[in-house]
Amino acid sequence: MIEIFTLAFLMLVSIASVIAAFKAIIEKDMVRAIVYSAIQSAMYALIFYVLMAPDIVLVYIPVSVGITPAILLFVTKKTERYDGD
Amino acid sequence: MEFPVIVASVIVVSLYVNLGIALYGIFARPSLVKKLLAITILSDTANAFAVLVGYRWPRTGTPQPPVLMNTTDYNESIKYYVEHAVDPLPQALVLTAIVIGLAVTLFIAFIIIQYYRLHGTVDVRKTKALSR
Amino acid sequence: MKKSEICVIVSIIIFIFSLAYITSLGGLGYLPPVDVRKLAQIYLSSTYNPFEPTNTSSGYESVTAIVWDFRGLDTFFETAVFYGAIIASIAVYRGVEIDTRKKPIGMSPIAKTVTRLSTVLIPTVAASIAFHGHLTPGGGFQAGSVATVVIVLIVMVFGLRKVILKGLTKPKILLLRSLGLIGIGLTAIGLVLAGLVIGVNAYIFQNQAKPIARISYPMWVDDILVGGSLLLFNLFEFIAVTAGFALVLMLFSIEEEEVRKVIK
Repeated sequence: MIEIFTLAFLMLVSIASVIAAFKAIIEKDMVRAIVYSAIQSAMYALIFYVLMAPDIVLVYIPVSVGITPAILLFVTKKTERYDGD
Repeated sequence: MEFPVIVASVIVVSLYVNLGIALYGIFARPSLVKKLLAITILSDTANAFAVLVGYRWPRTGTPQPPVLMNTTDYNESIKYYVEHAVDPLPQALVLTAIVIGLAVTLFIAFIIIQYYRLHGTVDVRKTKALSR
Repeated sequence: MKKSEICVIVSIIIFIFSLAYITSLGGLGYLPPVDVRKLAQIYLSSTYNPFEPTNTSSGYESVTAIVWDFRGLDTFFETAVFYGAIIASIAVYRGVEIDTRKKPIGMSPIAKTVTRLSTVLIPTVAASIAFHGHLTPGGGFQAGSVATVVIVLIVMVFGLRKVILKGLTKPKILLLRSLGLIGIGLTAIGLVLAGLVIGVNAYIFQNQAKPIARISYPMWVDDILVGGSLLLFNLFEFIAVTAGFALVLMLFSIEEEEVRKVIK
C-alpha cells in the first residue's frame, strides 16, 4: 500500500516539475525565473529519491537547489534583470 | 496495466515535455542568462532520464538502492541484493555528470559576464543590431 | 506571436515526437523493467564478495565502487575536465586585485550568528559523507558539493574582503586544490610504485588483489571496513572539489568596478 502512495506522489511531482519548468522559461523577470527553476530542481530531487538513487540526491540538492541559483543570481545582478523587451 | 507502468509512463511523458520546454528556452528566448538556465534544465532532464532507465520493479518485494545493507550472512544477502537493487551504472555516470556540469555552467557564466562587459547587453538581438 | 516563433515551436514538437518514437523503438523497452542488465548484475555481485577475493571491490556501496574502482579511469579524466573548466574560469579573472583596505560589507548580526553556527555544522556533515562514502550513500563528489554551500554562505553573509582578511586567500586555495589532484594521482599509481619497490606485478587503479597481481590496499583495519583505495580517493576528491568551487565562487563575488580597472 505504501508503495502505491509513493508512486502516486511521484506522478504529482513530475507534473509539478513540468509546470515549474514552463513558468521558469516564460517568466520575463530573471529573479522569479531562477526561483521557479529551483522549484523544478527540488521536484527532480524528489523524483531521484523515489527512483532509489540516494547518491544522486546527495549531490543534486546542494548543486541544483543551492549553487546553480546562486550563480545565476550573481550573473543576473552583474548583467540585466529583465529578459527580452 | 499495472500501476508502476502508468507512473513510469507519466514520468517519461513529463520528462519529454520538459525537454521540449528547455529546447524552446535555448532557441527562442533572447537573453543569454535565460539560455543558460534552459541549458541547466535540459541537462537535469537528461540525467533524470538516465536514472529512470536504470530503475526496476522486481517480481517479488520492492526495489532497493544500490547499497548492500544486510551484512550478517553474506551468502544470502548478496543473492537478495542482486535480485532487488536498481542498476548502479547510470547513477555513477550521472553523479559525475552533475558535478562536471556545474563546473561547465560556472565557466559559461563567466563568459556571459565578460560578454556583458564588452558589449553592454546580454540580449542577442541587440548585439546583432550593434554589429551592423 | 511572430511567424519565426511558431516555426521554432512546431519544429521542437516534431523533434520531441520523433525522439520519443525512436527511443521507444530502441533501447527504452518496457518501463519499469523487472530485471537489470547483465553488466549491472556483475557489478552488483562483485561490489563486496568475500567468496571471490580476486574479483571484488571493497565497499558496501556499488556507486562508489563503480566511480572509483571499476571505472576509475573515466572518473580520473572527468576530474581533468573539471579542472579544465575551473582553470579557464580563473583565466578570465587574471590580474584582478582585491583592495582589502576598504571596509567589508556584510549582512545583519542575526545572519552572521546563524552562519557561524552552520560553518561548523555543514563541513561536519560533508566530512561524514566523504569518510563513509564506501559504506553509506555518499562520496567525494557529494561531500565536495555540500561543503561548497558553506563557502557560498560565508562569502554572501560576511563579504569577500572579510574572508580574505581571515586568511582564505587565492594562493592557499590553489595549493589545496593541487594537493587534492596530486593525492588522486598518487593513489592511482600507489600500488604500481609499491610493486616496483617489492618486485611484484601491479596495475594502475588497482584496489584489491588480482590473479597475477597479488598486492592490494588494506580492506579491513581492526574490524572496520576501510575500503582500500576508495577511502583515499573520496578524501582527496572532497578536498579537490571543495577548493575548486570555492576559488571560482570567490572570484564571482568580486565587484564589477575592480574588474573594469583591469579590462580596458
